[in-house]
Amino acid sequence: MQHQHQGDVEHFGYMAQLTRRQLTQGVLAGAAIAPWRAFASDLVGQATTVPSGPLTDSGVTDSEIVLGVSTAFKGPSRGLGIELYRGAVSYFAHVNDQGGVHGRRIVLKLRNDGYQPVPAVENSVKLIVDDKVFALFGYVGTPTVTRVLPVLKKFQDRDFLLFFPFTGAQPQRQPPYDEFAFNLRASYKQETAGLVDNFMAIGRERIAVFYQADAYGRSGWAGVRGALKEHNTKLVGEATYRRGEQYTAVMRAQVERLKKVNPDAVICIGSYAACAAFARDAIDNGLEIPIANLSFVGSENLLKNLTDEFGSESERYSRWLVNSQVVPSYEDLSMASISEYAELMQRYDPTPPPEFEEHDYVPFAKSFTSLEGFLNAKLMTEILVRAGPSPSRALLEDAVFSIQNHDLGIGEQVHFSPERRQGLDQVYYTIVDNNRFVGLTDWKAKFAV
Amino acid sequence: MKVSRLFQRTMFGIFFLFLLIGVSTSVVSIYSVDLHLTSEYEENSRDIAKTIADASVDIILNRDLSSLQSLIDQFVEIQGISYIYIVNDTDEYLAHTFVPGIPEEILESERRVGETVTRNLAGMGDFVEVSSYILAGHVGSVHIGMDVSHVALAIQQAIGNQIYLIAIIFFVGIFASIWFVSFAAKPINALLDYAVTLAKRESEEGSSETAERVLTRNDEVGHLARLFQYFSTVSDPQKLEQASDDAGKE
Repeated sequence: MQHQHQGDVEHFGYMAQLTRRQLTQGVLAGAAIAPWRAFASDLVGQATTVPSGPLTDSGVTDSEIVLGVSTAFKGPSRGLGIELYRGAVSYFAHVNDQGGVHGRRIVLKLRNDGYQPVPAVENSVKLIVDDKVFALFGYVGTPTVTRVLPVLKKFQDRDFLLFFPFTGAQPQRQPPYDEFAFNLRASYKQETAGLVDNFMAIGRERIAVFYQADAYGRSGWAGVRGALKEHNTKLVGEATYRRGEQYTAVMRAQVERLKKVNPDAVICIGSYAACAAFARDAIDNGLEIPIANLSFVGSENLLKNLTDEFGSESERYSRWLVNSQVVPSYEDLSMASISEYAELMQRYDPTPPPEFEEHDYVPFAKSFTSLEGFLNAKLMTEILVRAGPSPSRALLEDAVFSIQNHDLGIGEQVHFSPERRQGLDQVYYTIVDNNRFVGLTDWKAKFAV
Repeated sequence: MKVSRLFQRTMFGIFFLFLLIGVSTSVVSIYSVDLHLTSEYEENSRDIAKTIADASVDIILNRDLSSLQSLIDQFVEIQGISYIYIVNDTDEYLAHTFVPGIPEEILESERRVGETVTRNLAGMGDFVEVSSYILAGHVGSVHIGMDVSHVALAIQQAIGNQIYLIAIIFFVGIFASIWFVSFAAKPINALLDYAVTLAKRESEEGSSETAERVLTRNDEVGHLARLFQYFSTVSDPQKLEQASDDAGKE
């Protein structure tokens, strides 16, 4: 039995050295010579050999499957990286406790990029070249992922794939880099279109944007611009901030710019610290209009910044917030996966990675970000199961494409194909009530002009 | 180090010559470095604008604008470049690097693609802006702003280095010339001492060392010393004239 197992590993080790094109050619050639091979086998019997090669595929051993993670464990956006990681770890810990995937534990090789593009690129190269991980998983951010995609293109002969980055940007959803990534969450295009449609429907037609001056901000800006075009209108104004701003930053200049154009609503495409600072300064300076944020903002961290400073007075600010989400509310325990998430987060209560831990960070018991990390891990596990007992990078894509109408336990079916590399499309809208985010059902009642 | 009075004017001459060379070289350097660096910055920025313009065509026509933003974000990290913006053929801003937003001066200005434009942006400073068409203007244009103070700083640094070098050469030259002049004056001083000794008719013993030093020289000082020695022993005016002629021929 052990021998048979090693044989499988040896076989896949050889296959891992092939590119996808070579593999396809090999399959076609194999089909063409199959009758001859059968005949030859009859003639020579056991003399027919399996090609020799390394015993293991890179990133996979007899006991482990290693996934590479580069994310923001430190810096102003650490809340996103840490919570996404905590959600994923709670599920992977559960899987490992159950015996792993085909007997292998799922192990994460972690690197911190601080939500900065250059470290993200360097980390990715190290994960691919030095750490030889099986696949990349759970990255955070558009400016980081956008710059990492060419790295995947560079190493395309090794068939590396990036799974479920925490970004709704387009670069990994469209050519030439779409073939190197799989997304679970809905796109920023879908989130911004939903926000614009809802604002337009309640008569808030003068829409401005406040955005991070980088690829993430531009992606959201383009989404809002495109959605407004559908309504034959344009952005009435815009203001930007520099990536990495803390909550202590003063956003009065941005608020003044937007006040001049008298908007009905502002859509923010930023991170939680900067967006919380903007909401604070906007309300303080009389810009009392709905302030929408995309899912990337990290809703709980945004609200925490306001409640930490204003306590019970924070309602003055939070009442204007409307945040789009790409996962359902973590309070909705009627959904199987939400219930499982709540149970596993409580059972494992994952801490931030010790090597990157900064003791002033207090993790959330539950959050939209950690729920997304949990769902990412759940689907990743399903893919690894489907990849079989001898997983290979070259065949990993086929395992993803085998997922058709898969129930992820959140009321939305997931399916992938070469033309569809994004699992979910649903966008949810939330507002703050009693210092927690709840679903927004009646836009008119809440925000009508 | 005492400078012979004979060479004092020569010394001042050398000093002023060095000063003139130093000042004129500095002025010419400042002018040429300023001209060269400014044009080099402009030229490099224009090349970058063209590179972005060439790379933007496919992104604007086929891809998401976040890729375009990512592209210009990489270029704005280059030293000296302060801002980049891209507008489409309808003058809509597709990507830019301004915080907290596009300055009014730029929003209101007329687009002059291909020209070098000087801008003063409120709260930001003075800039030189260059630009390049994207697909001959059918898709839009790329604009790059360079901070004038950064260019000026670079020029100051380059000029500062040159002036530093010229100052070192100047002072080394002055000290070297003083040393050379003193070195050249030494035999003349010795000759003077010898002549004084002869004039005073001092004893041979007291001045033998100085006499030996100048009389054995094989140059003009040696000839003069030997001539002085001869004058001191000859009283016939005709012989004196003959000796003077012989010394002149030597």
